[in-house]
Amino acid sequence: MGSSPRPTGGGPDILDEVTAADVAACVRDTLEGVFDAVSETGTDAAALLASVTESGRRPLTGDLAALRPGLHTRLTRLDLVSGAGFVAAPGLLADVSAWLEWWQIGAGGAVRPLVLDLDPEHSAYSDYTHWDWFTLARDTGRRAVAGPYVDYLCSKEYSLTLSVPVAVGGRFTGVAAADVYLSHFEAAVMPVMQKLPGSAFLVNARGRVAASACADYLAGSLVKGPDFGAILAGPADGVEHGGLRLRPCGDIPLILVTIPPAGRA
Amino acid sequence: MGVVAVTREPCGARQTVFTPVNNQARVDAVVRRLGDAIELGLLADGEQLPGESDLATQLGVSTVTLREALMALRQQGLVTTRRGRGGGSFVTVPEGPAEERLRSLLAGWSTEELRDLGDHWAAISGAAARLAAQRTEPGDLLPLRRSVEQLTEAADGAARSRVHGRFHVELAAAAQSARLTREEIGIQTEVGALLSLVLGEERYLKDLCDRHRTVISALQDGADEQARAQIEGCVRLCMARLVELRLGSSSSAGGPRPQEDTYG
Repeated sequence: MGSSPRPTGGGPDILDEVTAADVAACVRDTLEGVFDAVSETGTDAAALLASVTESGRRPLTGDLAALRPGLHTRLTRLDLVSGAGFVAAPGLLADVSAWLEWWQIGAGGAVRPLVLDLDPEHSAYSDYTHWDWFTLARDTGRRAVAGPYVDYLCSKEYSLTLSVPVAVGGRFTGVAAADVYLSHFEAAVMPVMQKLPGSAFLVNARGRVAASACADYLAGSLVKGPDFGAILAGPADGVEHGGLRLRPCGDIPLILVTIPPAGRA
Repeated sequence: MGVVAVTREPCGARQTVFTPVNNQARVDAVVRRLGDAIELGLLADGEQLPGESDLATQLGVSTVTLREALMALRQQGLVTTRRGRGGGSFVTVPEGPAEERLRSLLAGWSTEELRDLGDHWAAISGAAARLAAQRTEPGDLLPLRRSVEQLTEAADGAARSRVHGRFHVELAAAAQSARLTREEIGIQTEVGALLSLVLGEERYLKDLCDRHRTVISALQDGADEQARAQIEGCVRLCMARLVELRLGSSSSAGGPRPQEDTYG
């Protein structure tokens, strides 16, 4: 797959030392690039659904095939993205009750559709409306980053899912989304994190570690204590908390936690 | 059969000779996987299976292996094949009470295999519960709570078994481990159909729902060893009942393997 760790431009260099602001900007830019792609899918889906509705009928699963060329291009173009698509709100489509127009890029760069059994009579996994990537975007009307979480519905990988609500005429029709495997995200942000003078890791708003350059806080573990959600709404420079510096990453709901190097604290 | 086949169908027989020796195990694995899926209702009556080459690729076996497995499933009456336009392989759920068919499925397992399956399952779910208790935050418990509620409401053994399997998968996901989750999905694929026999019994259903609630409480309290012990208890209860049923059914269903003396 094209998502192997990219070259970091040489080993750690003391002259190349970066600041926490640089790392936060790198995290922000990395995921903003994914959000750009998700928004493109969202725009395509909204335009498609609007034109079908204007023609006086309800959309069908077959209509969503028009999204495929764009999804294929984005999956191939973005090393970081392993799955992408549009997930319909239940009841949107006339021919099925639920649908994921979802594509994944596999080893060797082959792009394949995800085929799920969404019949509640057969599958215990048919209702996808409880997943964070769906509920957060639907309930807030804003873009969302879900995870890190084990995606046992689609990829069976530890992932982040970035989603954007898709509305047509003010009505919620579903979400456009993209999956970023945590290992790939780590490969994208770790080189710059490791250039910080102290150790550092990223947590989500609930305190779950999303990537770490610190052996004491590994991805998936929970950091308890600080109200990380409040940091996101706080000053861009962040705040101090018990010897840690907590800093938002732009409008991306991840918090960079830095620990000053011993002797400098 | 070998000699006759060589004289009549040299090509087919030679193909059989040169297939890998462990091929029968692969055929059996595919037969069991698809057979279980049909019993569990994951594949519906009349549903068309994917084309042979697609299905073989998805299952990770050769088309030769898949054809042999389909032949065995046809003999068991679980698949019918139609030729020509609109043809293909279709799922047929056989007539007769589901429980009887499930018992003959169970008879295909030796008690040693069941014991080993239980050991594997307890190891995975036990480790998952311990880690989940350490790594849990309130949002992680919602899927588990929903599954327990759905388990109490599900109509029959097959529906209960699907939700029960999902509880264990959600537990592994709450441990934040993709490997444990994949392993748990594999275990549930194997044990799911059999468990519909256990979950079809009201007293086991009630007991398991109560125990699952205790697991959730332990996760919430961060009581990792208690969560592990509780879920291992659930697994032991399920497997002990399956072994009981296996021993009770072995004489009438005529399982392929003799009953172990040590259990007699």
